[in-house]
Amino acid sequence: MTGMGLGPLGNAALLLALAFSLWGVIGGAIGAIRRDARLLTSARMAAYATFLAMTAAVAVMEIALLTDDFSVSYVAETSRSTSPTWVKVVTLWAALEGSLVLWGWLLSGYWALLSFVAPNTPLRPWALTVMAGVQTFFVGVPAILTPPFQTVSPIPMDGPGPNPLLQNHWMMAVHPVLMYLGFVGLTVPFAYAMAALITRLPGSEWMTQTRRWTLIGWGFLTAAIIAGGWWSYEVLGWGGYWAWDPVENVSFLPWLTATAFIHGVQVQERRRMLKAWNLLLITLTFSLTLLGTFLTRSGVVSSVHAFGDGPVGPAFLVFFLIVMAFSLGLVAWRWDQVRDRADLDHPVSREGAILAGNVLLLAMTFAVLLGTIFPLIVEAFTGDKVTVGAPFFDQASLPLWMGVLFLMGVGPLLPWRRAPDQTLRSNLAWMLGAAAVGAAVAAAFGIRGVYPLLTIALSAWNLASLTLLILGAVVPRVRIGTRSVAQVLRSYAFENRRRFGSMIVHFGVVVLALGIMGSSAYRLDEQIRVDFGATTTFAGLELTAVDRFMERTDQRISAGAVVDVARNGTPLATLRPRINTFAGQQMTVPTPAVLYRPLYDIYLNVSSSIGPGQEFVVLRVVRSPLVTWIWVGGFIVALGTLYALTPNRRRVAVTSRAGPEEPVGT
Amino acid sequence: MTRVLIVILVTAMLGGLFLFGLLRGQPDREVESARLNRSVPMFELPVYPRYQPEFGPTLDVAAELSDRPRPMIVNFWASWCGPCYVEAPDLQEAWQRHGERVLFVGVQTQDRGKRAEGQAFVSRFDLGFPNVIDDDSALSIDYGLFGVPETFFVRADGTLMYKHTGPVELELLEEKIEELTAS
Amino acid sequence: MTLTSPRSTGRGRPVVLLRVVRAAVLAAAAALVAIAPAQEAATAPGAAVELQSRVFDITRKLRCPTCVSESVADSNAAIAIEMRNQVQSQLEDGRSETEILAFFQERYGDWVLLEPPRRGVHLLVWWLPGIALAAGAGGLGLLMVRWTRNARREGTEAPPDDDDLARVRAALGEKEPS
Repeated sequence: MTGMGLGPLGNAALLLALAFSLWGVIGGAIGAIRRDARLLTSARMAAYATFLAMTAAVAVMEIALLTDDFSVSYVAETSRSTSPTWVKVVTLWAALEGSLVLWGWLLSGYWALLSFVAPNTPLRPWALTVMAGVQTFFVGVPAILTPPFQTVSPIPMDGPGPNPLLQNHWMMAVHPVLMYLGFVGLTVPFAYAMAALITRLPGSEWMTQTRRWTLIGWGFLTAAIIAGGWWSYEVLGWGGYWAWDPVENVSFLPWLTATAFIHGVQVQERRRMLKAWNLLLITLTFSLTLLGTFLTRSGVVSSVHAFGDGPVGPAFLVFFLIVMAFSLGLVAWRWDQVRDRADLDHPVSREGAILAGNVLLLAMTFAVLLGTIFPLIVEAFTGDKVTVGAPFFDQASLPLWMGVLFLMGVGPLLPWRRAPDQTLRSNLAWMLGAAAVGAAVAAAFGIRGVYPLLTIALSAWNLASLTLLILGAVVPRVRIGTRSVAQVLRSYAFENRRRFGSMIVHFGVVVLALGIMGSSAYRLDEQIRVDFGATTTFAGLELTAVDRFMERTDQRISAGAVVDVARNGTPLATLRPRINTFAGQQMTVPTPAVLYRPLYDIYLNVSSSIGPGQEFVVLRVVRSPLVTWIWVGGFIVALGTLYALTPNRRRVAVTSRAGPEEPVGT
Repeated sequence: MTRVLIVILVTAMLGGLFLFGLLRGQPDREVESARLNRSVPMFELPVYPRYQPEFGPTLDVAAELSDRPRPMIVNFWASWCGPCYVEAPDLQEAWQRHGERVLFVGVQTQDRGKRAEGQAFVSRFDLGFPNVIDDDSALSIDYGLFGVPETFFVRADGTLMYKHTGPVELELLEEKIEELTAS
Repeated sequence: MTLTSPRSTGRGRPVVLLRVVRAAVLAAAAALVAIAPAQEAATAPGAAVELQSRVFDITRKLRCPTCVSESVADSNAAIAIEMRNQVQSQLEDGRSETEILAFFQERYGDWVLLEPPRRGVHLLVWWLPGIALAAGAGGLGLLMVRWTRNARREGTEAPPDDDDLARVRAALGEKEPS
């Protein structure tokens, strides 16, 4: 092991991966053009080989990290011998060079898996070639531009360790991986879309084959965004979870367009409309993942998360422009096959609702993108420096969210193609009634804000919609069969995974919406100075700063305050917010303490230093109503997505006559 | 053909914009002062003991400048600020050369309660020009301070000629003082 | 005959029961959805906390000068803490939010405002999203008009495309996708 340096080994692995993926492109393209089965098979082999090479590269880096091999440049720059083992493992993606290797590895895994399971259709050769092309970029950058395996000489004694914010919470092991799985997952439908354009089969084929992949990618992206919010909440110290920082926005943009795409796909499957629209949407989604990475890795916009400048920025910019030109060019070239000969029976129909929802989601994408790059645009033209912050994004997106919530409730109840009928009108009346009841109850409790009232009303609207959907599906089946309600519900859920899964997801979104409303509109902040031993009151609770405490581990030195939280004398919890200094780093980072409760959180952060002789502590205290509902809602969305991905149970032969017709919205 | 043109146009526009962004570099530093070419706030703040024989318990900048109108250099620092330690000797040197023609004032800010540390800073570099204490940082907010160290070059008429973010070097000080005293 | 709407099977006990159950379930759902958030949200804070809350509300609109993209409310930087103190004393002096924001804007420039002011070049960022939405909605409306006309003219069945024919051939005999 010590003889052959790990550095050269890792370099070799990356270069091998690059060579294999290049062959995947060349062999795949030529094989596709000439319809040469042997070339295509060898291109598929290239996928497996690339995956093996990338796995080797990752393994080599992990070994280097775990054995503190500081002769490898990345380890010397990013790792530290005193870090706990899990921190060393996640150091792989704690800095730019390593996180690109992670992305390349995950992508190679998807490419290999796709090569293995993709059905042998005319689309496959080109789809795999496009994947190979993307893979070449993601291996090329770490292999050539930002090599992490360079040899450092003389070998340093130790390294600085990863950024403190990236080693004080377990979420570091989860969120970046989820995010990359999301981005990479969305590469597959993009590759198929390009294949569809190249092979002139721009119909529904490419979407049907990638439906699962799209949902998986979207699911991971959603989970990543929620996980990121939770991570911010637990780590950053200001009691919030979303600041509309550019790096957050750029993960949000492809999510918005992917959501629009998922729904647009349904319209294309049912009605064979919106071909061009969906092609453009998935292109936009993939391009946005590249653009996002460019914006945050290049220092072009200021962001708390931006790390590194150097050759990565320009590389991503060039690739982004190439992808844009290539994909838009393809769409333009095949425009005549792609343009829609569409027809619409009635605007107030499922198609209409989905289209309207798409417009809202895209408007939100535009607003967020504009706000994020607006300072850059202004500076390019006038040289002035301006700021576009959270208040803008809140005000620009909230009305659109209300529209989306509204459509989410009414859409599933609308029939395909037909105009609304009597059943629908009565359902809508029930939903409106529910919304009114919800708003009235909220107002009775003293809620006066427009957006909170609207959110609550629309949540009731959505709950009513989901209830009516289920009733509409279950009741007729109970009526004509001999089974009980529970049995019918079960078999409905098992035989309609996609539909039932989407109901779960929509329900999760409602919970999310309420959580966001509660925690932003009714949050209470205070900065309190408490002497040790004294008690102060905050929002009906008693906070007692008991004493200071110190902790010392190999990784960090921390000073904090022990705070007892009680309500009317009954103790609730003891919280220990602290400030940490990590070995090898100057920066101090706080670890706030959170008391999670179903209806509100109490969040404590240390705002002052806690010196040895100090008799007091300054605490930032936040009371956030319903913030837990956000994490719960996100979890429900993830569950629903998982459920929708599972295959339907084969329908048991029905002994009675023809099965019941779905009254509304199948 | 038009479609291809649209594609090219969109790609070119985006490319141009982002290329500009890349070339321009870090966006955040070097935000121009909002007070450029406008009059700066005058202030009266307590000085450190070593300056009290000459100035009394507080330094009243307005009075100083009305007594003897001249340009002013206001330098903001804090005891925890590394680059402030780097630039202090340069400021001291510049004051020794031009202290007659230009009023040098050091302001300790964002350092609530840190009197001992401030005293140590001033003694360490044996700063001959008056250093005042901006305990609640109200003056730095008035000056629109982005961070420490920052140095403000004020003309004799009280308007801001130039704000420097980050540590100043002797060369730059000389250059700006020439400009200040030329008018 | 469809077994869809309860109405079509005539009036009867089970139908009335169904309706009542449905109404009750919906009302309960609506109320439940409203109660928890409402109760939580509507607890009134005391006066001192009220002041602090206002400080944070205002400083959430100010950009921390030394941080990278953080608001004064969120940051723990020295200048941010002092700015919060400044805002609190100005509030105690009775100044309004507008006056306080103007105070900082005078000293730091437009850059310090997280909410772009509604004048000058900033108007672009406020207006363009609305214009884009209007354009999108308008475009959609036009498309819908054209598509509805298509439907009426060509009848409601569009000719099948090659994809579909291939799928039908392949799918014969297999179970229907959901």
